[in-house]
Amino acid sequence: MLHAAAWFAWLIAALIAVSTTRNPLYLTLATAVFMATAHAIRRPGETYAAPLAPGRFALYVIPLAAIINALLSRVGDTVVLAIPSTWPLIGGPITAEALVYGALNGLLLTALFTAFTVLNLAVPVRDLIRFIPRAFYPVAVVASIAVTFAPVTLRQMQQIREAQAIRGHRMRRLRDWLPLFMPLLTGGLERALQLAEAMASRGFASESRTARSTRAQAVSVLGLLGILGGGLLIAWQQVFWGALLIVTGSAAIVGMLWLTGRSIPHTTYRRASWGFREWLVTGGALFAIAGFLFWGSTTRAYNPYPAITWPAFGTLAGTALLGFSLPALVVRGDDDSL
Amino acid sequence: MIHFEHVTYTYPDAARPALHDVSLSIPAGAFALVVGTSGAGKSTLLRCLNGLVPHFSGGTLTGRVTVDGLDPVVRAPRGMSRAVGFVFQDPEAQFVMDRVEDEIAFALENAAIPPAEMHARVEEALAQLDLTPLRQRKLETLSGGEKQRVAIASALALRPRILALDEPTSQLDPQSAAELLDALVRLNATLGLTVVLAEHRLERILPFVDQVIYLPDDGAPVIAGSPRDVLPHVPLLPPLQALAQALGWSPLPLTLEEGRRFAVHCLDDMSTDSTDFNGLRKKNSVLSVQSVEKNTPLLEVRDLEVAYGSTTALHGVAVALYPGEIVALLGRNGAGKTTLLKSLVGLLRPRRGDVLVEGRSIAKTDVADVCRRVGYLPQDPNALLFADTVLDELHITLRNHDIPVVNAPIVPEMLLERLGLADKIQKYPRDLSVGERQRVALGAIMVTQPGALLLDEPTRGLDYRAKMQLLDLLRAWRAEGLAILLVTHDVELVAEAADRVVVMDQGEIVAQGNPTEVLRSSPTFTPQIAKLFPESDWLTVGEALAGLDTGS
Repeated sequence: MLHAAAWFAWLIAALIAVSTTRNPLYLTLATAVFMATAHAIRRPGETYAAPLAPGRFALYVIPLAAIINALLSRVGDTVVLAIPSTWPLIGGPITAEALVYGALNGLLLTALFTAFTVLNLAVPVRDLIRFIPRAFYPVAVVASIAVTFAPVTLRQMQQIREAQAIRGHRMRRLRDWLPLFMPLLTGGLERALQLAEAMASRGFASESRTARSTRAQAVSVLGLLGILGGGLLIAWQQVFWGALLIVTGSAAIVGMLWLTGRSIPHTTYRRASWGFREWLVTGGALFAIAGFLFWGSTTRAYNPYPAITWPAFGTLAGTALLGFSLPALVVRGDDDSL
Repeated sequence: MIHFEHVTYTYPDAARPALHDVSLSIPAGAFALVVGTSGAGKSTLLRCLNGLVPHFSGGTLTGRVTVDGLDPVVRAPRGMSRAVGFVFQDPEAQFVMDRVEDEIAFALENAAIPPAEMHARVEEALAQLDLTPLRQRKLETLSGGEKQRVAIASALALRPRILALDEPTSQLDPQSAAELLDALVRLNATLGLTVVLAEHRLERILPFVDQVIYLPDDGAPVIAGSPRDVLPHVPLLPPLQALAQALGWSPLPLTLEEGRRFAVHCLDDMSTDSTDFNGLRKKNSVLSVQSVEKNTPLLEVRDLEVAYGSTTALHGVAVALYPGEIVALLGRNGAGKTTLLKSLVGLLRPRRGDVLVEGRSIAKTDVADVCRRVGYLPQDPNALLFADTVLDELHITLRNHDIPVVNAPIVPEMLLERLGLADKIQKYPRDLSVGERQRVALGAIMVTQPGALLLDEPTRGLDYRAKMQLLDLLRAWRAEGLAILLVTHDVELVAEAADRVVVMDQGEIVAQGNPTEVLRSSPTFTPQIAKLFPESDWLTVGEALAGLDTGS
């Protein structure tokens, strides 16, 4: 399995690349590359984990975005349909340009959605939890339990639904939810108590072993104030000092988290290794974003207003986008390590 | 290793103590079995070992507990975690992570064990419980027995010298339960681990137990000692020991092999009395089956085929259930037993075939309407109960069916009295014992007076006494003409109760007939008494006693 950090690098690069362009050719190409990646890393038998597959997402979102934009934006040379201006809200000309621009927004959303689908398929929630700083270890454990609890609760819900149905329960009124909800709630609480006992029996301490020092709290408050002040300074055109404050504030918080984390005695069992494949994926993503930004500097932007034109396509920039497909080459869905 | 000195413990707001003046000691490396009815204080005793009592429960504890030289009351559960590993009833309720390896490593991560040693210990725990091939698996994909083995491995990761288990097999089928108990015996023998186990299924482990701790539920003093010394004081025993006691076999046999030596003597004595085995055959129950079959079936299934997606769960199933009989449905896990029950009340709709209730197809009938005529007790009665009082549970069912309480086919209070719950009418159902909760659920189902009752694994987690109460109830209902279909793994219950046995495998019915023939056809289904007297056709203690009596 690929290191989760490599996937994060991939995702961030992909998001930047997609959001810097409105060129439909690049957007379509990027979406296709992401879809191919998603398909390649998908485990056999598993459908897309997201509630909607990217294809269906596109089917809904692109027309919807086009219509909404056409209703909001009335600029453009080519009028497709003129709604009498006396009609409230929707009255006025509908232009082809506005429709295209809206559809482009829909396409952009589809590309972003597909990129997240890839991450969702690639990284188990459990591995995301590992990114929670060690200073917040109890929070991480709670998150982890929540992930374990969810499928059990769903199964219980099903059981309860059946159990109530066989004693003649029908859903007619609002209060008919009670027989479903009450056993679920009491059952969940009973299970929570049981889990607390089990965890204590295995030596888990819910409270941090070292008392949270007031110094650590003071440092984090100062750090937050620094970030806030820096933001204000930037807003007042003091970019240098503002940036400096933000960096110092962030560094203080990160350092505090690291120190507090070190004082919590805790080791990790699963240490993901960073190897050749991780370098390849991260390198591919970096190449893709750098190449796309550099070679595509003139062709990235595309504007259908005031009249629709055929978008330009840079071969090199398009080739760079293919860098995002590297995970498809090094990660296989039937990888047994998942 | 473990010492209790005059320990008395009372739960908060309880009228009388859960443990009363308990003094006992368990030596290092012992295999100790804690027996007693539900509610006799088995869990409480175990929870004292690592301080869950009184740290999680509250209440007052007097006397002194010493475990591995430590005082659990002072050290609290967390401080005891390296001395005592603890395993609970429900494997699912104790998991924190989602994969086998991670779950085992959880305690080690908390204890800040260095990674190299952590890996060694995880390997060790995996190997000890035969989990190595499953190490990468997600916990939710494991069977109940496998889950419980993961729970044990996780408890052992910190290398405690004592392992306490609170009815670890109560949620498991007999096969998984047997495997789990075998694993415990092995751990005890090879590692010298001190095992303290609360358990209802005694048959399998009695031979390996060094010490039995019996907690009577009437507040009488705790009896602890070797199995042969203590078991005669325990009221309800497995068939072998029950028969041995009735016949005065001494020393008390703990294994079937030991029992067979006595059995052979018994039969020798008899055959010298000139009786041959054919004379011992009991009057066949086929007669009663035939008389029953003249009636029209209450429930009939024709050529049933049920599928989940593309997998066929039931195939060509045809059975009939007549008023006034108990039919037992046996089969391995995944054979399709629960699927059949769900199809019978319309919770699952068949792909082919039909289900007839009182001669009418239920294909277009609402589940709720079917269940007014066919009662169905699911595996987990907790899913059913949510009202504030026991009586309310019954009223709610009536209200669901739009039946005013005054017009109820049976007065709810009377039904509860029959169920042995007369003094529990105003109690909160979830505070009751497992057996009582199950009977409340039965009440909530039977209050519409259906003509048939389907039960899914009703004896799971029940102690012997609760089992006998259920058995009496089912027999009484059968006498009144109720048609009962019993899905179970419990062959002793089948031997006691069933008029007919149906065996399912891989979604098909593979055997059907009277209990004597069917139960003896497969070793997994053979009751203890039948194993003890292979030449006879006795299945239960009662039959054996009666047979031996007429023989001699």
